[in-house]
Amino acid sequence: MKGLLIRNLSKTYFDPYAGAHVTAVRDVSLSVNEGEFVSLVGPSGCGKTTILNMIAGFVPASSGDIVLDGRRISGPGPDRGVVFQSFALFPWKTVLENVAFGPKMRGAGKTERERIAREYLALAGLGNAADRYPNELSGGMQQRVGVARALANEPDILLMDEPFASVDAQTRMTLQEELTRIWQARRPTVIFITHDVNEAIFLAERVIVLSKGRLLAEVDVPLPRPRVWDTLIEDAAFKTLSARVLHLVRSG
Amino acid sequence: MTTLLRLWSFYARRTTRWPGVAAAIPFIALIASWAIVAESAIFPRAFFPGPLDVVRSFGSLVYKGILPDYLEDSVVRLAVGAAAGTALGIPLGLWLGMSPRAYSALWPVLLFFQAIGDIAWLPILLIWFGFGLATMTFVIVYTVLFPVVLNTVLGVRSVPIDLHRAALSLGASRARILWEVVVPGALPNIVTGLRNGLGYGWRALIAAEIIVGTSGIGFLMFDARRAGSVVEILLGMIILGLLWSVVDGWVLVPIERATGQRWGLITQ
Repeated sequence: MKGLLIRNLSKTYFDPYAGAHVTAVRDVSLSVNEGEFVSLVGPSGCGKTTILNMIAGFVPASSGDIVLDGRRISGPGPDRGVVFQSFALFPWKTVLENVAFGPKMRGAGKTERERIAREYLALAGLGNAADRYPNELSGGMQQRVGVARALANEPDILLMDEPFASVDAQTRMTLQEELTRIWQARRPTVIFITHDVNEAIFLAERVIVLSKGRLLAEVDVPLPRPRVWDTLIEDAAFKTLSARVLHLVRSG
Repeated sequence: MTTLLRLWSFYARRTTRWPGVAAAIPFIALIASWAIVAESAIFPRAFFPGPLDVVRSFGSLVYKGILPDYLEDSVVRLAVGAAAGTALGIPLGLWLGMSPRAYSALWPVLLFFQAIGDIAWLPILLIWFGFGLATMTFVIVYTVLFPVVLNTVLGVRSVPIDLHRAALSLGASRARILWEVVVPGALPNIVTGLRNGLGYGWRALIAAEIIVGTSGIGFLMFDARRAGSVVEILLGMIILGLLWSVVDGWVLVPIERATGQRWGLITQ
Protein backbone atom coordinates (compact mmCIF):
# COMPACT_ATOMS: atom_id res chain seq x y z
CA MET A 1 0.00 0.00 0.00
CA LYS A 2 1.39 3.40 -0.97
CA GLY A 3 1.27 6.31 1.42
CA LEU A 4 1.70 6.78 5.16
CA LEU A 5 -0.26 4.90 7.77
CA ILE A 6 -0.09 5.75 11.49
CA ARG A 7 -1.79 3.43 13.96
CA ASN A 8 -2.35 4.16 17.67
CA LEU A 9 0.82 6.19 17.96
CA SER A 10 1.80 7.33 21.48
CA LYS A 11 4.84 8.97 22.97
CA THR A 12 5.59 9.14 26.67
CA TYR A 13 8.81 10.46 28.06
CA PHE A 14 10.27 11.20 31.46
CA ASP A 15 10.54 14.88 32.28
CA PRO A 16 13.42 15.29 34.76
CA TYR A 17 12.24 18.77 35.77
CA ALA A 18 8.67 17.77 36.47
CA GLY A 19 9.93 14.46 37.91
CA ALA A 20 7.11 12.63 36.15
CA HIS A 21 6.16 10.91 32.93
CA VAL A 22 4.60 13.17 30.34
CA THR A 23 2.46 12.01 27.44
CA ALA A 24 3.22 14.15 24.40
CA VAL A 25 1.25 12.09 21.87
CA ARG A 26 -1.74 9.96 22.81
CA ASP A 27 -3.17 7.26 20.56
CA VAL A 28 -3.01 9.11 17.25
CA SER A 29 -4.11 7.30 14.08
CA LEU A 30 -4.13 8.86 10.66
CA SER A 31 -3.31 8.10 7.06
CA VAL A 32 -1.86 10.20 4.27
CA ASN A 33 -2.34 9.14 0.68
CA GLU A 34 0.39 9.22 -1.91
CA GLY A 35 0.62 12.69 -3.42
CA GLU A 36 -1.52 14.26 -0.70
CA PHE A 37 -0.65 17.47 1.16
CA VAL A 38 -1.70 17.30 4.82
CA SER A 39 -1.23 20.02 7.44
CA LEU A 40 -1.00 19.26 11.15
CA VAL A 41 -2.05 22.34 13.09
CA GLY A 42 -2.20 23.06 16.78
CA PRO A 43 -0.73 25.25 19.51
CA SER A 44 2.69 24.75 21.09
CA GLY A 45 2.83 21.57 23.11
CA CYS A 46 0.05 19.82 21.18
CA GLY A 47 2.49 17.11 20.10
CA LYS A 48 2.71 17.96 16.40
CA THR A 49 6.50 18.20 16.28
CA THR A 50 6.83 15.01 18.33
CA ILE A 51 4.66 13.21 15.77
CA LEU A 52 6.82 14.53 12.94
CA ASN A 53 10.02 13.50 14.75
CA MET A 54 8.65 9.98 15.17
CA ILE A 55 7.72 9.76 11.48
CA ALA A 56 11.19 11.03 10.59
CA GLY A 57 12.65 8.40 12.93
CA PHE A 58 14.51 10.90 15.07
CA VAL A 59 12.74 9.78 18.24
CA PRO A 60 11.30 6.30 18.85
CA ALA A 61 7.59 5.85 19.42
CA SER A 62 6.49 4.54 22.82
CA SER A 63 3.79 2.48 21.18
CA GLY A 64 1.97 2.22 17.88
CA ASP A 65 3.05 1.77 14.27
CA ILE A 66 4.23 4.04 11.50
CA VAL A 67 4.13 2.39 8.09
CA LEU A 68 5.36 4.07 4.91
CA ASP A 69 4.60 2.35 1.58
CA GLY A 70 4.11 -0.90 3.47
CA ARG A 71 7.41 -0.71 5.42
CA ARG A 72 7.48 -0.22 9.17
CA ILE A 73 9.62 2.74 10.16
CA SER A 74 12.53 2.40 12.57
CA GLY A 75 15.08 5.19 12.56
CA PRO A 76 15.73 7.96 10.05
CA GLY A 77 16.08 7.23 6.35
CA PRO A 78 16.31 8.88 2.96
CA ASP A 79 12.76 7.77 2.09
CA ARG A 80 11.56 10.62 4.34
CA GLY A 81 12.84 14.09 3.49
CA VAL A 82 12.79 16.63 6.31
CA VAL A 83 12.62 20.43 6.12
CA PHE A 84 13.58 22.01 9.45
CA GLN A 85 12.43 25.20 11.14
CA SER A 86 16.13 25.93 11.80
CA PHE A 87 16.85 25.29 8.06
CA ALA A 88 19.69 22.93 9.18
CA LEU A 89 21.80 23.69 6.11
CA PHE A 90 25.46 22.68 6.28
CA PRO A 91 27.26 26.03 6.74
CA TRP A 92 30.53 24.68 5.28
CA LYS A 93 28.90 23.57 2.05
CA THR A 94 27.80 25.81 -0.79
CA VAL A 95 24.13 25.91 -1.76
CA LEU A 96 24.87 23.50 -4.62
CA GLU A 97 26.75 21.08 -2.32
CA ASN A 98 23.90 21.23 0.21
CA VAL A 99 21.31 20.27 -2.38
CA ALA A 100 23.63 17.64 -3.87
CA PHE A 101 24.17 16.03 -0.43
CA GLY A 102 21.39 13.44 -0.69
CA PRO A 103 22.40 12.23 -4.17
CA LYS A 104 26.04 12.17 -2.97
CA MET A 105 25.07 9.87 -0.09
CA ARG A 106 23.28 7.64 -2.61
CA GLY A 107 26.57 7.33 -4.46
CA ALA A 108 25.80 9.61 -7.43
CA GLY A 109 28.91 10.88 -9.25
CA LYS A 110 29.89 14.53 -9.20
CA THR A 111 28.39 15.44 -12.59
CA GLU A 112 25.21 13.49 -11.92
CA ARG A 113 24.57 14.95 -8.46
CA GLU A 114 25.31 18.49 -9.60
CA ARG A 115 22.89 18.07 -12.50
CA ILE A 116 20.21 16.92 -10.03
CA ALA A 117 21.04 19.76 -7.62
CA ARG A 118 20.82 22.39 -10.35
CA GLU A 119 17.48 21.03 -11.47
CA TYR A 120 16.00 21.40 -7.97
CA LEU A 121 17.66 24.77 -7.39
CA ALA A 122 15.96 26.01 -10.55
CA LEU A 123 12.65 24.58 -9.28
CA ALA A 124 13.10 26.56 -6.04
CA GLY A 125 14.07 29.71 -7.94
CA LEU A 126 17.68 29.62 -6.71
CA GLY A 127 19.56 29.25 -9.99
CA ASN A 128 21.90 32.14 -9.21
CA ALA A 129 22.76 31.19 -5.63
CA ALA A 130 24.46 27.85 -6.37
CA ASP A 131 27.96 28.90 -5.35
CA ARG A 132 27.04 30.97 -2.31
CA TYR A 133 27.34 29.80 1.29
CA PRO A 134 24.14 29.57 3.40
CA ASN A 135 25.15 32.41 5.73
CA GLU A 136 25.33 34.72 2.72
CA LEU A 137 21.61 34.20 2.04
CA SER A 138 18.45 35.63 3.62
CA GLY A 139 16.27 33.37 5.75
CA GLY A 140 13.74 32.96 2.95
CA MET A 141 16.47 31.96 0.49
CA GLN A 142 17.97 29.54 3.01
CA GLN A 143 14.68 27.74 3.44
CA ARG A 144 14.27 27.50 -0.35
CA VAL A 145 17.59 25.64 -0.24
CA GLY A 146 16.20 23.47 2.57
CA VAL A 147 13.18 22.51 0.45
CA ALA A 148 15.32 21.93 -2.66
CA ARG A 149 17.74 19.76 -0.66
CA ALA A 150 14.94 17.57 0.69
CA LEU A 151 13.25 17.24 -2.73
CA ALA A 152 16.50 16.50 -4.57
CA ASN A 153 16.74 13.24 -2.65
CA GLU A 154 13.38 12.22 -4.14
CA PRO A 155 11.84 11.04 -0.86
CA ASP A 156 8.55 9.15 -0.68
CA ILE A 157 7.26 11.76 1.75
CA LEU A 158 8.28 15.29 2.67
CA LEU A 159 8.10 16.21 6.36
CA MET A 160 8.06 19.95 7.03
CA ASP A 161 8.40 21.18 10.61
CA GLU A 162 7.19 24.79 10.82
CA PRO A 163 9.57 25.59 7.96
CA PHE A 164 8.44 29.18 7.44
CA ALA A 165 8.06 30.17 11.11
CA SER A 166 11.33 32.10 11.27
CA VAL A 167 11.00 34.26 8.13
CA ASP A 168 9.19 37.58 7.89
CA ALA A 169 5.47 37.69 7.06
CA GLN A 170 5.80 38.86 3.43
CA THR A 171 8.51 36.33 2.58
CA ARG A 172 6.43 33.66 4.28
CA MET A 173 3.50 34.31 1.91
CA THR A 174 5.80 34.10 -1.10
CA LEU A 175 7.31 30.84 0.17
CA GLN A 176 3.84 29.40 0.77
CA GLU A 177 2.80 30.26 -2.80
CA GLU A 178 6.01 28.75 -4.16
CA LEU A 179 5.47 25.59 -2.14
CA THR A 180 1.95 25.14 -3.59
CA ARG A 181 3.41 25.67 -7.07
CA ILE A 182 6.13 23.05 -6.46
CA TRP A 183 3.60 20.65 -4.98
CA GLN A 184 1.35 20.99 -8.04
CA ALA A 185 4.30 20.46 -10.36
CA ARG A 186 5.79 17.41 -8.59
CA ARG A 187 2.97 16.11 -6.38
CA PRO A 188 5.14 14.93 -3.49
CA THR A 189 3.40 13.53 -0.39
CA VAL A 190 3.72 16.22 2.27
CA ILE A 191 3.09 16.49 6.00
CA PHE A 192 3.32 20.11 7.03
CA ILE A 193 3.50 21.14 10.71
CA THR A 194 2.37 24.63 11.67
CA HIS A 195 0.62 26.60 14.39
CA ASP A 196 -0.67 29.07 11.77
CA VAL A 197 -4.24 28.17 10.82
CA ASN A 198 -4.28 30.18 7.57
CA GLU A 199 -0.98 28.67 6.47
CA ALA A 200 -2.30 25.17 7.18
CA ILE A 201 -5.41 25.77 5.07
CA PHE A 202 -3.67 27.65 2.27
CA LEU A 203 -1.23 24.81 1.59
CA ALA A 204 -3.14 21.63 2.28
CA GLU A 205 -5.73 19.27 0.87
CA ARG A 206 -6.61 18.27 4.40
CA VAL A 207 -6.00 19.90 7.77
CA ILE A 208 -5.62 17.83 10.93
CA VAL A 209 -6.18 19.65 14.21
CA LEU A 210 -4.24 18.41 17.24
CA SER A 211 -4.79 19.24 20.85
CA LYS A 212 -2.97 18.01 23.96
CA GLY A 213 -1.40 15.12 22.08
CA ARG A 214 -4.67 13.94 20.58
CA LEU A 215 -6.18 14.13 17.12
CA LEU A 216 -9.10 16.54 17.51
CA ALA A 217 -10.55 16.91 14.02
CA GLU A 218 -9.91 16.51 10.30
CA VAL A 219 -11.03 19.22 7.89
CA ASP A 220 -10.97 18.84 4.09
CA VAL A 221 -9.85 21.85 2.08
CA PRO A 222 -11.64 21.82 -1.29
CA LEU A 223 -10.20 25.19 -2.43
CA PRO A 224 -9.18 25.34 -6.10
CA ARG A 225 -5.56 25.65 -7.23
CA PRO A 226 -3.38 27.48 -8.04
CA ARG A 227 -3.80 29.28 -4.74
CA VAL A 228 -2.54 32.83 -4.33
CA TRP A 229 -2.95 35.00 -1.26
CA ASP A 230 -4.25 38.09 -3.07
CA THR A 231 -7.46 36.31 -4.14
CA LEU A 232 -7.74 33.74 -1.38
CA ILE A 233 -7.66 36.32 1.40
CA GLU A 234 -10.99 37.66 0.06
CA ASP A 235 -12.45 34.23 -0.67
CA ALA A 236 -15.61 33.38 1.30
CA ALA A 237 -14.91 29.64 1.38
CA PHE A 238 -11.40 30.30 2.69
CA LYS A 239 -12.71 32.61 5.39
CA THR A 240 -15.30 30.08 6.52
CA LEU A 241 -12.71 27.31 6.68
CA SER A 242 -10.27 29.55 8.50
CA ALA A 243 -12.87 30.51 11.13
CA ARG A 244 -13.86 26.88 11.59
CA VAL A 245 -10.33 25.59 12.06
CA LEU A 246 -9.40 28.51 14.28
CA HIS A 247 -12.37 27.72 16.47
CA LEU A 248 -11.32 24.07 16.70
CA VAL A 249 -7.73 25.01 17.59
CA ARG A 250 -8.79 27.48 20.27
CA SER A 251 -11.51 25.31 21.80
CA GLY A 252 -9.20 22.25 21.94
CA MET B 1 44.79 71.32 17.58
CA THR B 2 44.07 71.24 13.83
CA THR B 3 47.53 69.81 13.21
CA LEU B 4 46.82 67.07 15.72
CA LEU B 5 43.48 66.38 14.07
CA ARG B 6 45.08 66.27 10.66
CA LEU B 7 47.77 63.91 11.94
CA TRP B 8 45.14 61.68 13.47
CA SER B 9 43.05 61.55 10.31
CA PHE B 10 46.18 60.75 8.31
CA TYR B 11 47.00 57.96 10.76
CA ALA B 12 43.45 56.64 10.63
CA ARG B 13 43.35 56.62 6.84
CA ARG B 14 46.75 54.94 6.44
CA THR B 15 46.07 52.30 9.03
CA THR B 16 42.73 51.32 7.49
CA ARG B 17 44.48 50.84 4.18
CA TRP B 18 47.56 49.09 5.59
CA PRO B 19 46.74 47.27 8.83
CA GLY B 20 50.43 46.36 9.09
CA VAL B 21 51.22 50.00 9.73
CA ALA B 22 48.74 50.09 12.59
CA ALA B 23 50.45 47.09 14.15
CA ALA B 24 53.93 48.62 13.77
CA ILE B 25 53.26 52.07 15.22
CA PRO B 26 52.94 51.08 18.91
CA PHE B 27 56.19 49.16 18.56
CA ILE B 28 57.96 52.18 17.13
CA ALA B 29 56.85 54.16 20.19
CA LEU B 30 57.95 51.33 22.48
CA ILE B 31 61.40 51.02 20.88
CA ALA B 32 61.84 54.81 20.92
CA SER B 33 61.13 55.04 24.66
CA TRP B 34 63.42 52.07 25.28
CA ALA B 35 66.20 53.81 23.35
CA ILE B 36 65.66 57.06 25.26
CA VAL B 37 65.89 55.31 28.65
CA ALA B 38 69.00 53.38 27.57
CA GLU B 39 70.76 56.41 26.08
CA SER B 40 70.01 58.59 29.12
CA ALA B 41 72.38 56.26 31.02
CA ILE B 42 70.20 56.03 34.14
CA PHE B 43 71.27 52.40 34.34
CA PRO B 44 74.69 50.95 33.47
CA ARG B 45 74.91 49.92 29.83
CA ALA B 46 75.67 46.27 30.51
CA PHE B 47 72.65 46.12 32.82
CA PHE B 48 70.21 47.92 30.50
CA PRO B 49 71.37 47.87 26.86
CA GLY B 50 69.60 49.80 24.09
CA PRO B 51 67.93 48.58 20.90
CA LEU B 52 71.08 49.10 18.82
CA ASP B 53 73.10 46.85 21.14
CA VAL B 54 70.52 44.14 20.66
CA VAL B 55 70.63 44.56 16.87
CA ARG B 56 74.43 44.30 17.00
CA SER B 57 74.24 41.19 19.14
CA PHE B 58 71.73 39.76 16.66
CA GLY B 59 74.19 40.39 13.83
CA SER B 60 77.06 38.77 15.63
CA LEU B 61 75.08 35.69 16.70
CA VAL B 62 73.78 35.26 13.16
CA TYR B 63 77.32 35.64 11.83
CA LYS B 64 78.64 32.99 14.21
CA GLY B 65 75.79 30.72 13.09
CA ILE B 66 74.56 30.18 16.66
CA LEU B 67 71.23 31.96 16.30
CA PRO B 68 70.07 30.25 13.08
CA ASP B 69 70.94 26.85 14.59
CA TYR B 70 69.15 27.54 17.85
CA LEU B 71 66.14 29.04 16.09
CA GLU B 72 65.87 26.00 13.86
CA ASP B 73 66.14 23.67 16.86
CA SER B 74 63.34 25.47 18.70
CA VAL B 75 61.02 25.76 15.71
CA VAL B 76 61.52 22.13 14.66
CA ARG B 77 60.85 20.93 18.23
CA LEU B 78 57.66 22.99 18.35
CA ALA B 79 56.52 21.87 14.91
CA VAL B 80 57.13 18.18 15.59
CA GLY B 81 55.56 18.37 19.04
CA ALA B 82 52.57 20.33 17.80
CA ALA B 83 52.04 17.95 14.87
CA ALA B 84 52.16 14.92 17.15
CA GLY B 85 49.94 16.57 19.76
CA THR B 86 47.38 17.53 17.11
CA ALA B 87 47.49 14.12 15.44
CA LEU B 88 46.70 12.51 18.80
CA GLY B 89 44.37 15.22 20.08
CA ILE B 90 41.90 15.57 17.21
CA PRO B 91 40.92 11.88 16.94
CA LEU B 92 40.76 11.60 20.74
CA GLY B 93 38.58 14.72 20.92
CA LEU B 94 36.26 13.46 18.15
CA TRP B 95 35.87 10.15 19.94
CA LEU B 96 35.18 11.73 23.33
CA GLY B 97 32.79 14.23 21.75
CA MET B 98 30.71 11.60 20.00
CA SER B 99 30.69 8.77 22.53
CA PRO B 100 28.97 9.65 25.82
CA ARG B 101 30.39 6.48 27.35
CA ALA B 102 33.98 7.36 26.44
CA TYR B 103 33.34 10.89 27.64
CA SER B 104 32.11 9.91 31.10
CA ALA B 105 34.92 7.38 31.50
CA LEU B 106 37.84 9.50 30.31
CA TRP B 107 36.89 13.11 31.00
CA PRO B 108 37.84 13.03 34.72
CA VAL B 109 41.17 11.39 33.83
CA LEU B 110 41.79 14.11 31.28
CA LEU B 111 41.04 16.87 33.77
CA PHE B 112 43.33 15.22 36.31
CA PHE B 113 46.28 15.11 33.93
CA GLN B 114 45.54 18.57 32.58
CA ALA B 115 46.06 19.89 36.09
CA ILE B 116 49.57 18.43 36.20
CA GLY B 117 51.10 21.18 34.11
CA ASP B 118 53.76 20.54 31.52
CA ILE B 119 56.67 21.71 33.67
CA ALA B 120 55.51 19.63 36.63
CA TRP B 121 56.39 16.62 34.51
CA LEU B 122 60.00 17.69 34.05
CA PRO B 123 61.46 16.24 37.27
CA ILE B 124 60.27 12.71 36.53
CA LEU B 125 60.93 13.03 32.79
CA LEU B 126 64.53 14.03 33.46
CA ILE B 127 64.99 10.87 35.51
CA TRP B 128 63.26 8.68 32.91
CA PHE B 129 64.53 10.15 29.66
CA GLY B 130 67.44 12.35 30.75
CA PHE B 131 68.39 15.73 29.34
CA GLY B 132 67.40 15.20 25.73
CA LEU B 133 64.98 15.44 22.88
CA ALA B 134 62.61 12.82 24.31
CA THR B 135 61.96 14.91 27.39
CA MET B 136 61.33 18.08 25.42
CA THR B 137 59.11 16.35 22.88
CA PHE B 138 57.05 14.80 25.65
CA VAL B 139 56.51 18.18 27.27
CA ILE B 140 55.39 19.86 24.05
CA VAL B 141 53.13 17.02 22.93
CA TYR B 142 51.62 16.96 26.41
CA THR B 143 51.04 20.71 26.40
CA VAL B 144 49.53 20.83 22.91
CA LEU B 145 47.36 17.75 23.47
CA PHE B 146 45.00 19.12 26.13
CA PRO B 147 43.78 22.33 24.49
CA VAL B 148 43.28 20.43 21.23
CA VAL B 149 41.32 17.61 22.89
CA LEU B 150 39.20 19.88 25.08
CA ASN B 151 38.33 22.25 22.23
CA THR B 152 37.62 19.41 19.81
CA VAL B 153 35.18 17.88 22.30
CA LEU B 154 33.54 21.28 22.68
CA GLY B 155 33.35 21.66 18.90
CA VAL B 156 31.80 18.24 18.35
CA ARG B 157 29.19 18.92 21.02
CA SER B 158 28.37 22.32 19.57
CA VAL B 159 27.24 20.87 16.22
CA PRO B 160 23.45 21.42 16.25
CA ILE B 161 21.42 18.21 16.50
CA ASP B 162 19.36 19.30 13.47
CA LEU B 163 22.48 19.00 11.28
CA HIS B 164 22.90 15.38 12.42
CA ARG B 165 19.22 14.76 11.76
CA ALA B 166 19.35 16.43 8.34
CA ALA B 167 22.31 14.26 7.33
CA LEU B 168 20.60 11.09 8.62
CA SER B 169 17.38 11.87 6.74
CA LEU B 170 19.40 12.48 3.59
CA GLY B 171 20.79 8.96 3.86
CA ALA B 172 24.21 9.58 5.43
CA SER B 173 25.87 6.71 7.29
CA ARG B 174 27.61 7.21 10.65
CA ALA B 175 30.99 7.32 8.95
CA ARG B 176 29.83 9.90 6.40
CA ILE B 177 28.33 12.03 9.18
CA LEU B 178 31.68 12.03 10.96
CA TRP B 179 33.42 13.34 7.87
CA GLU B 180 30.69 15.56 6.37
CA VAL B 181 29.13 17.01 9.54
CA VAL B 182 31.11 16.45 12.75
CA VAL B 183 34.61 17.33 11.56
CA PRO B 184 33.72 20.52 9.65
CA GLY B 185 31.31 21.56 12.39
CA ALA B 186 34.00 21.18 15.03
CA LEU B 187 36.74 22.72 12.88
CA PRO B 188 36.53 26.31 14.18
CA ASN B 189 36.92 24.99 17.73
CA ILE B 190 39.71 22.66 16.65
CA VAL B 191 41.56 25.66 15.22
CA THR B 192 41.04 27.51 18.51
CA GLY B 193 42.48 24.49 20.31
CA LEU B 194 45.44 24.46 17.96
CA ARG B 195 45.97 28.17 18.57
CA ASN B 196 45.95 27.72 22.35
CA GLY B 197 48.01 24.54 22.12
CA LEU B 198 50.70 26.18 20.02
CA GLY B 199 50.78 29.15 22.40
CA TYR B 200 51.15 26.98 25.49
CA GLY B 201 53.51 24.62 23.68
CA TRP B 202 55.79 27.49 22.68
CA ARG B 203 56.01 28.64 26.30
CA ALA B 204 56.56 25.09 27.56
CA LEU B 205 59.31 24.61 25.00
CA ILE B 206 61.20 27.66 26.21
CA ALA B 207 60.85 26.49 29.81
CA ALA B 208 62.01 23.01 28.86
CA GLU B 209 64.97 24.39 26.95
CA ILE B 210 65.97 26.47 29.95
CA ILE B 211 65.97 23.42 32.19
CA VAL B 212 66.94 20.64 29.79
CA GLY B 213 69.04 23.00 27.71
CA THR B 214 71.47 21.94 25.09
CA SER B 215 70.31 24.30 22.34
CA GLY B 216 67.36 26.48 21.35
CA ILE B 217 66.15 29.99 22.13
CA GLY B 218 65.36 29.15 25.76
CA PHE B 219 68.87 27.73 26.19
CA LEU B 220 70.34 30.82 24.51
CA MET B 221 68.64 33.05 27.06
CA PHE B 222 69.59 30.98 30.07
CA ASP B 223 73.15 30.55 28.84
CA ALA B 224 73.34 34.34 28.41
CA ARG B 225 72.28 34.73 32.03
CA ARG B 226 75.21 32.55 33.11
CA ALA B 227 77.52 34.80 31.09
CA GLY B 228 75.75 37.91 32.39
CA SER B 229 74.83 39.06 28.88
CA VAL B 230 71.63 41.08 29.26
CA VAL B 231 71.73 42.00 25.59
CA GLU B 232 71.38 38.35 24.54
CA ILE B 233 68.57 37.77 27.01
CA LEU B 234 66.69 40.70 25.52
CA LEU B 235 67.39 39.39 22.02
CA GLY B 236 65.93 36.02 22.99
CA MET B 237 62.80 37.66 24.39
CA ILE B 238 62.29 39.73 21.25
CA ILE B 239 62.73 36.67 19.05
CA LEU B 240 60.05 34.84 21.06
CA GLY B 241 57.58 37.65 20.44
CA LEU B 242 58.42 38.04 16.77
CA LEU B 243 58.30 34.33 16.07
CA TRP B 244 54.85 34.09 17.58
CA SER B 245 53.63 36.94 15.37
CA VAL B 246 54.89 35.00 12.37
CA VAL B 247 53.18 31.77 13.47
CA ASP B 248 49.98 33.71 14.13
CA GLY B 249 49.97 35.69 10.90
CA TRP B 250 51.23 33.02 8.51
CA VAL B 251 49.73 29.86 9.97
CA LEU B 252 46.82 30.44 12.34
CA VAL B 253 45.03 33.43 10.83
CA PRO B 254 44.93 31.95 7.29
CA ILE B 255 43.48 28.71 8.66
CA GLU B 256 40.82 30.61 10.58
CA ARG B 257 40.00 32.71 7.56
CA ALA B 258 39.61 29.65 5.35
CA THR B 259 37.24 27.86 7.74
CA GLY B 260 34.95 29.44 10.29
CA GLN B 261 34.87 32.99 9.02
CA ARG B 262 33.82 32.06 5.51
CA TRP B 263 31.05 29.84 6.81
CA GLY B 264 29.72 32.44 9.19
CA LEU B 265 30.45 30.21 12.20
CA ILE B 266 32.77 32.88 13.58
CA THR B 267 31.55 36.44 13.34
CA GLN B 268 34.10 39.16 13.24
